[in-house]
Amino acid sequence: MTEKISPEEIQKVISSVPLLSASANQLLQTTTDPDHDLMQIVNVVKTDATLTARVLKVVNSAAFGLINEITSLDRAISYLGERLVVGIAIGDCAAQLFDKELKGYEGEHGALWRHDLRTAIASREVVTQSNSTINPDLAFTAGLLHDIGKALISDYLQGTAKDVLQKIENDEFSDYLSAEEELIGFDHPRAGYELALVWKLPEPIANAIRFHHTPAEASEEFRELVYAVHLGDNIAMMGGCGTGADSMQYKLDTDYTQYIDLHPNALANVMLVVNEDFEKLERSFSEAGE
Amino acid sequence: MGQIILGVGDYGASNLPGEDVKTFALGSCVSVVFLDPKTRTIGMVHVALPESSINKAKSVEKPGYFADTGIPALFAEMAKFGCNPKGKGMVVKLCGGANVMDTNDTFQIGKRNALSIKKILWKYGMGAVAEDLGGNFSRTVSVSVDTGEITLSSPGRPNWKL
Repeated sequence: MTEKISPEEIQKVISSVPLLSASANQLLQTTTDPDHDLMQIVNVVKTDATLTARVLKVVNSAAFGLINEITSLDRAISYLGERLVVGIAIGDCAAQLFDKELKGYEGEHGALWRHDLRTAIASREVVTQSNSTINPDLAFTAGLLHDIGKALISDYLQGTAKDVLQKIENDEFSDYLSAEEELIGFDHPRAGYELALVWKLPEPIANAIRFHHTPAEASEEFRELVYAVHLGDNIAMMGGCGTGADSMQYKLDTDYTQYIDLHPNALANVMLVVNEDFEKLERSFSEAGE
Repeated sequence: MGQIILGVGDYGASNLPGEDVKTFALGSCVSVVFLDPKTRTIGMVHVALPESSINKAKSVEKPGYFADTGIPALFAEMAKFGCNPKGKGMVVKLCGGANVMDTNDTFQIGKRNALSIKKILWKYGMGAVAEDLGGNFSRTVSVSVDTGEITLSSPGRPNWKL
């Protein structure tokens, strides 16, 4: 029998999670502002010695195959692009969450980080290949954080996966989201949103976390971004990269076509790029993490 | 016991007793498995997309990625093991090709992969003797060289055979 999580309980779980570092927070704020420039990013990273070292380690990892070592932070950041720098900063501070073994979903160790990274790349590619006006860097960051709520509620779902799948098959639950809500009174987007509020994440990202399975409910202002992450999430799962038993057990909102113009060939291209980029990025992150 | 692990767009074959040919987490991808009773060789290709026409360069670099280039590539690989280069006498099994829930045509890549593969097999005069296709869950697939039996697994479900 599972127990319902009360709002107080979820706050208790969140309070046990480390806060984002000041530099990660500032990077998120800066990159969400449409008028920012690269120098602002460099200046934030400079204030954080650990982050500076990590950025240099990633850019010089074998996965990028550079002939000459990059030693200047400005060059490293302009080579990697801001999304990767933000990704490194978030990945470092939230490592405890991203690395969590999602036992409630019967996910393998590392599955959440891999799924999130893949969703980040897919969300960015959806935006790029559909000629959307959304900033691809923002789509990447929102994709990276979209499922963070799973790390908060997974333990409460332990031992339920088999039963949930059976009930979805029998139409007793309409999808995994409603199963979470029914079983523990909290679904993962809502849990993630609570964390987003505590972490003071920028509004577009908090919206992507909250509504990535129900994009039509996002406020109009952020809906295009939220649909991009919704598609990115589905594309990651179609690529075989989910977080466990819940993979592909969510509904696609086909009204995305009102916001995102993605033809079948463009989708095929997104899937190709996602596969290639994912292998490269995963390698560079893990090499630099050793 | 040895294992050949295939990633997305990879293909491979084995006739080594005790060995398994395996691929992880097929979502919308389809794994085409050939079994050649004559030479006791197993071959597998992990197909990601139905048509190579969307990216010719990629199909040259990694033919296994697409249904139309992956199947001939696997035949050529299996010919190295003494199998018929056009698949004559081989048995086919298909796994994967899942779709997300409430999908639309654009997102039915799993279904399109399976259809495209069946069309190509038909051209070679072949049809699958067994298939585990569709649904909305990912599959890890492992084939034993000794028995030709396929073991499938998916998180939250008991393993099953094909």
